[in-house]
Amino acid sequence: MKGSFKAIAATFVVLGLVSMGGCGGSADAAKQNGKTVIKIQTFNNFGYGKSTSEKPGANLWAQYEKEHPNIKVEETVAASSDDARSTFNTAISSNSGAYDIYAADIAWMPSITAMPNKFIDLSSYIKNNDWMDWKVQGGKAADGKTIGAGNDIGPTAVCYRSDLFAKAGIPTDREQVKDLLGGDSATWDQYFKVGAEYHQKTGKPWYDAMGGIWGAMKTQIKESYVKQDGTIIATNSTIKNLYDQLTATTEMSAHLSQWSDDWNSQFKADNGFATIMCPAWLLNNIKGNSGDFKGWDIADVTPGGGSNQGGSWLVVPETSKVKDEAAKLVAWLTAPEQQVSTFKAASNFPSSPTAQKNPTVSGKLDPSMNNAPVGKIFTDRAKAVKIVPYTGSQYYDIDAKLGDALGRVDVTKEQNPDASWKRFEQDVKALS
Amino acid sequence: MTESHVSTHVKPGGSSLRSRLGILEWKASPYLYVAPFFILFMFVGLVPLIYTVWVAMRQYNTLTGDAGWAVCGSVCHNATPGWTGNFLWVLHQPSFYVALRNSLSIFLISTIPQMILALLLAWVLNANLKAKTFWRMGVLLPYVVAPSAAGIIFSQIFSDKMGAINVLLQTIGLPTIMWHGSAIWSHIAIATIVNFRWTGYNALIFLAAMQAIPNDVMEAAVVDGAGKARTFFSVTLPLLRPTLIFVIINSTIGGLQIFDEAQLFHNGTSGYGGPNQQYLTISMYLWTLGFNNVTIGQPNMGRAAAVAWFLFVIIVVIALLNYWLTKRLTNGSGARNTRQTAKTAKAVRFREYEQAVNTGVVARLGRSGHDVQVNSDGPGSIGSLIRHDEER
Repeated sequence: MKGSFKAIAATFVVLGLVSMGGCGGSADAAKQNGKTVIKIQTFNNFGYGKSTSEKPGANLWAQYEKEHPNIKVEETVAASSDDARSTFNTAISSNSGAYDIYAADIAWMPSITAMPNKFIDLSSYIKNNDWMDWKVQGGKAADGKTIGAGNDIGPTAVCYRSDLFAKAGIPTDREQVKDLLGGDSATWDQYFKVGAEYHQKTGKPWYDAMGGIWGAMKTQIKESYVKQDGTIIATNSTIKNLYDQLTATTEMSAHLSQWSDDWNSQFKADNGFATIMCPAWLLNNIKGNSGDFKGWDIADVTPGGGSNQGGSWLVVPETSKVKDEAAKLVAWLTAPEQQVSTFKAASNFPSSPTAQKNPTVSGKLDPSMNNAPVGKIFTDRAKAVKIVPYTGSQYYDIDAKLGDALGRVDVTKEQNPDASWKRFEQDVKALS
Repeated sequence: MTESHVSTHVKPGGSSLRSRLGILEWKASPYLYVAPFFILFMFVGLVPLIYTVWVAMRQYNTLTGDAGWAVCGSVCHNATPGWTGNFLWVLHQPSFYVALRNSLSIFLISTIPQMILALLLAWVLNANLKAKTFWRMGVLLPYVVAPSAAGIIFSQIFSDKMGAINVLLQTIGLPTIMWHGSAIWSHIAIATIVNFRWTGYNALIFLAAMQAIPNDVMEAAVVDGAGKARTFFSVTLPLLRPTLIFVIINSTIGGLQIFDEAQLFHNGTSGYGGPNQQYLTISMYLWTLGFNNVTIGQPNMGRAAAVAWFLFVIIVVIALLNYWLTKRLTNGSGARNTRQTAKTAKAVRFREYEQAVNTGVVARLGRSGHDVQVNSDGPGSIGSLIRHDEER
């Protein structure tokens, strides 16, 4: 009797200790059945995996594993880039080798390129790949190492509802819409002028949200919130003028918060917004939110000059146990042929000029956008991108505050533009 | 058993070690049994807790790690590193106070109606209903729904344009409600999501406690002529006190840490807690600071840890306040045993005793029997009794 009590007590203590030590003892998982396992984390849909109805893909893993019989690729897809980022941050800060390859969003790149010694130099692996010049710059660290291999980009066009345009008596042909908005020298003034006329005629909203317009505007300034030397210039006249220009168009807005249910539901509504700033990857959302509705078209024009919104890179952390194999896979995934495959399957626009020239890309027509030549349009839009904004230091912290400022005027309508700007100035001050 | 019996019998002195061991086991084994929990808690609870104190005092960034003592920076015009840096920085943030206001407001709007409703529900469920189990399981059903599922459903009900409530209001010609634009309405919406999930759960805990109240107490109250309401307030409620304290402190912790409901109510990706921070709670503020703003050069983890400690202190203070309040409120019916009334009662008893000794008549009997004779200004009044005594 007495002995058994002690035995039970001892067992509990031992169990307790074992369960605590358990997390430290992960075995070397790089090999499995004699194959080298490469683990990669992506988010949303990169179009690498097997095609499903929700996530179209080019089935690249099967292809790579066939060409390299000793490799096995395990992809983990995070639901959103925010989820992916917190995993990434934890792994990088704790030096744990959770994944061998990470897909990194454009917003993460400033912090990644600021710690070049945590990621491997991919230069020797990617000699045969090509990228648009600004995409190469985005993946380079200050010391010249290339730590990010460019994946997709987000050249921006204007998507519009041809059914609503027709009702308002505006030309619906995409070439005419392009000219109407100013063609190759399109300005925001012209875009808002047409919008004001449209709104006067119909009483319906011209664009979805100020946040959406701002998303394009901010990418057209080299140094918007912060200078490269770290000085904060967010409340200077450059931003203020654009802010004034945008907030003066309040009546043209649909007053929606982007990515909300209300926003999703307005893509096919009769009184929905007529235009939206359209990065390549947004076509997926337009399709998803329109269902059977077929009224959307796309014009080869960007107000205010070219704009790139979003896009991703692939990085390999130093902690990976299979650095060499992972880097080879990264080079292969970002090579022009694979970029063509993923654009064909999903709508991730290639960052490689060779891939952009490929007839599969440049000739792609999109049946859900009234058979628009989306391949050609986004190639043109990518060429129009002349400015790579500096997004280091507190860029994204300040950007969130400006988003709030626009939201107070546009979505919740609780402040006038001046009051909201004053609040923004205070917010920026409180950040440092 | 037999062996020890024999040994005690034959040689009493030899068993002393054995019996001392036995006593030791008797005394020590309970601690051994609970030890696994505390050892585990030490590693997964206490160590991180203390580590957070350290992080809160440091210039700690998620990606680049520790970089010396924290610096408050330009917001408090102080660039000297020190352990208070992050705490001061947080105290200089207007957002922190807004978040505090929101958390408290959502906590109050959710907890108070929730407690009252749960008590009422429990009281009803405690009555002799048909299909008892069905009703009892029914109130627990919302609790089974995952918080995110409830959040998603309610965020669609509370959408500004296409939400069920606003569409309904529009069809009957009423102005729509700015659920996300107005602070108070957003708090009501979030509190509704919380109440939906937790009211039934708390009602069941109250019900269990109510069923533990012995029947004879209730019967005694009925015999004394107490009505339903009087029984509830004077018997049931005071006897529920330990359960009430438990539930209220629990919901204080839950209410002040509120995160999922507010985050799902937001319904969008950018601008956490609303553009004017209408529904930014302390937990969301902590999360945004620590996990969204990972800007290199900023001690994001340090600041988040500092907020976590402020939150901890606030919860402790409010929990203590609630404990004290609950104790007071459930101290039985109207008559509160304050020191003053106790003193008066004692004085009365003493006089009654004296009177009884002096006169040989039991004062109480006299009072109840000959009210008019003894008291000139109404029966049973303590004041009159004392005055009467003094006159004599």
